[in-house]
Amino acid sequence: MTNYLIRRGFQMIIVVIVATMAIYGLLNAVPGGPLSGLNLSGNQKDRLSAQDIARIEATLGLNRPVWMAYLTWVGGEDWVDELGNLVGNPDLNGKLLFTGTWSDYQSPTCQQAGGSNAGADPDRLMPCNRGIIRWDWGESWSLARGQSVSNIIQSRVGNTIILMTIVSILSIVIAVPIGIISAVRQYSALDYAVTTFSFFGIAMPVFWFGLLLIILFGVKFQQWGFPYFPTGDVFTTRVTPGSIQDILSVTPGTVTDRIVHLILPVTMLSLFSLAGWSRFMRSSMLEVLRQDYVRTARAKGLTERIVIMKHATRNALIPLITIVVFQIPDIFGGAIVTETIFNYPGMGRLFIDALNRDDWPIVMAYLFISAILVVIATLVGDILYTIVDPRIRFD
Amino acid sequence: MSVAEIDIKALEAEALLTDKPEALIVTYWKRLRRHKLATFSLIMLGAVILLMIAGPIIMSRQTYYNISKNEETLYARDTQDLANRNAAPSADHWLGTDELGRDVLFRLLVAGRLSLFIAFTVVFVRETVGIFIGALSGYFGGWVDSFIQRAVEFIIILPLLPLLLTLSSLLRGVQINFLPPEWSQAVVIIIILSLFGWTGAARLSRGMALSLRNQEFTEASKALGMSDLQIIARHMVPNTLPPVIVNATLGLGGVILLESALSFLGFGIQQPVATWGNMLQDVQKDMFTAPWKALYPGFMIFITSLCFNYIGDGLRDALDPRLKL
Repeated sequence: MTNYLIRRGFQMIIVVIVATMAIYGLLNAVPGGPLSGLNLSGNQKDRLSAQDIARIEATLGLNRPVWMAYLTWVGGEDWVDELGNLVGNPDLNGKLLFTGTWSDYQSPTCQQAGGSNAGADPDRLMPCNRGIIRWDWGESWSLARGQSVSNIIQSRVGNTIILMTIVSILSIVIAVPIGIISAVRQYSALDYAVTTFSFFGIAMPVFWFGLLLIILFGVKFQQWGFPYFPTGDVFTTRVTPGSIQDILSVTPGTVTDRIVHLILPVTMLSLFSLAGWSRFMRSSMLEVLRQDYVRTARAKGLTERIVIMKHATRNALIPLITIVVFQIPDIFGGAIVTETIFNYPGMGRLFIDALNRDDWPIVMAYLFISAILVVIATLVGDILYTIVDPRIRFD
Repeated sequence: MSVAEIDIKALEAEALLTDKPEALIVTYWKRLRRHKLATFSLIMLGAVILLMIAGPIIMSRQTYYNISKNEETLYARDTQDLANRNAAPSADHWLGTDELGRDVLFRLLVAGRLSLFIAFTVVFVRETVGIFIGALSGYFGGWVDSFIQRAVEFIIILPLLPLLLTLSSLLRGVQINFLPPEWSQAVVIIIILSLFGWTGAARLSRGMALSLRNQEFTEASKALGMSDLQIIARHMVPNTLPPVIVNATLGLGGVILLESALSFLGFGIQQPVATWGNMLQDVQKDMFTAPWKALYPGFMIFITSLCFNYIGDGLRDALDPRLKL
C-alpha cells in the first residue's frame, strides 16, 4: 500500500505538471493573445508605439520564450539573471532587448530591484515574481489590474465553497432516502417518478433550467405581485418593495440575506446532483437486496425495517461514497454555468471573466487548482474503494 | 465452368431458401420496438430531423411582411426587421421574432441542423478513433497497451469543462481559410469536442479485443496469413460495435448539451450563426421584456437530448446478447 501511494503520488505530480505545461504552451502558441486588441484603433494618434508595446510585454512577461515563461510561472523570476550568468549570457540576436543578459527576461520592477527580493518590504508586493512554488500566483493583468491573483481567489473561493457544500449535503440527504425507497418499492409510482426524473436530469440543459427558474421566480413573480427572489449576486444593496427580502424584512448583508440569494442556485444544482445520485443509490440498493445476507437477516426474523436500515442500506451506501468523491471536481466545473447564470461571484465566474479578458495568470491559477482537485479526488476515491471493500487491493 | 461447381452453388442456394435465418438487424429492430419509449423517441427524433431539413427549404421560398423595409421579404436566417423586435408569435412569425427582428422559427430550425450535425460528427469521429485505438491497445498488449492506457487515464483525469472553455476561447478567432465562417467555427468546435471524448469507446473496444485475441478464430486468421491490421479491421472492430453503438447513442445527448453550454457561455459558435446554445445566450439580456424567448431553444435541446438517451437505453436492451426473444 505504501509503495502504491508513493507511485500514485509521483503519477499525480507528473499529471499536474504535464497538464499545466500543455495549457501554458497552448495559451502562448495560439495567435492573438492579450495584446491583440491594443492597436485596433483607427486613429494614428491613439496607437501605441513599438517601445510602449515592448514595455507592456516586458511587464507582463510576454517577451519570454514559452519555456522560460513557464519556468518563471512555476519557480519565480529572481533566479533568472543568476542562471544566465552561470550558463553564460547568449546574446540571442536581438531577442534580449536591453542588456543582452538573461536579466532582460525579468519584469522591469524586478530589474530595478536588482533582480532579487532581498531587502524588499515583506508586507508589500514583491518586486520579483516568486512563482507558484513559493505561493506567488502572480498579478492579474486585466480583470483587477495590479492585484495579486491569490487575493482575488481568496475573495471568491469562499462563495463557491459555501454554495457547493450546501448543494452536496442537501443532495446526499435527499438522494439517499429517495434511492432507498424507490429500490424497496421497485416499480411503484414513486420508483417510476424517480426514474423519469433522473432521465430528465440527464437530458436537461443546466443553463436552461436556471433561466426558467429566474424567469419564473424572479421575473414573473414580480409581475404577478408575489414575493420574488433575487436573480443574482450574494447580498442586496437596497431592499426593493415586494421582494422576498421585503416580506421577511431582511437587513441587507446579513446571513438571512445570503440564504435568500442562495435558494435559486442551490435548487438548480441540487436537482441535477439529485437526479444522478438517487438513481445510483437505487441500483446499488437493488443489488444489495438480492444478496444472501439480506435473506439470512430476514430468515433470522428481523423486522423489515431493521433489515433495510442496518443490513442493506449500510452496504448500499459504500459505492455511493466513492461516486460522491469522484464527483467533487465535476461539481467544481459545473459551478461555472450556475455562477454565470446567477451572476454569483464565485470561482466559476471568475474563470469565465478571466477567459473573456485574456487574464492568463487567473486562468492558469484556476486550471492548476482544478487539475490538483481532480487528481486528489481520484486518489481519495481509489483509496476509499480499498477501505470499504477489502477485496480490492493495490500493490 | 465444371459440373461440380454448379452443384455446390445450387445446393447452397437451396439451403438458403429452405432454412433462412432471420437477419441480425431484424432481430435487433424487433427488440427495440418492444421498448415503447425508445420507439416513441425514434419517431419523435425522425420528425424533428425531417422538420429541420424540410422546414428552412420550404420557408426560404415564402415571404412575410417586413415592417422596416415596408415590403414582402423572403424568410432568411439573418434578415432583420428592426421595427418588429421581440414580437410575440403571429401569422407571419409563428414563434415571434428576436431582438433584431429575425424570425425565431427559421433560426431555430437552422440552428438545429448545425447542432445535430456537430453532435453526429463529433460522436462519429470520437467513437471511430476510440474503437481503433482501443483495438490496437487490446490486440497488441505490452508497451503499446500500457502507453495507450496511461494516455487514457491522463485524459480522463483532466478537468473537462474548464479545459474545453480554455481551448475554445483560444480558438474562437481562428478562421480556416477555405471554409465559410460558420463551417470554420463548426469544425473548430468538432475538433475540440472530439479531442477528449474518445476514451469511452477505447476502453470498451480494448476489453473486447483482450477477450477475442486468444480465441481460435484469431489463431486461424493468423495461420491463414492475415496481417495484424487486417485481423483488427475484420474481427476485432465489428465485434465491439454493439456496445460502442449504445455508448455513442447515449453520448449524442451529452454532446448536444456540451456544445450548447459552450455556445451559451459565449465560447462556442458566435452570432449571427445560430445554434440553440447561443440563441439562449441573448435571453439573459431581455429577461424582463421577452422571457418567452428562453422556451424554444432550451426545449429543443432538452427534447433531442432526451430522445437520444431513451433510444440509447432501448438499444442497450436490444443489443444485449444475453437477451433472447
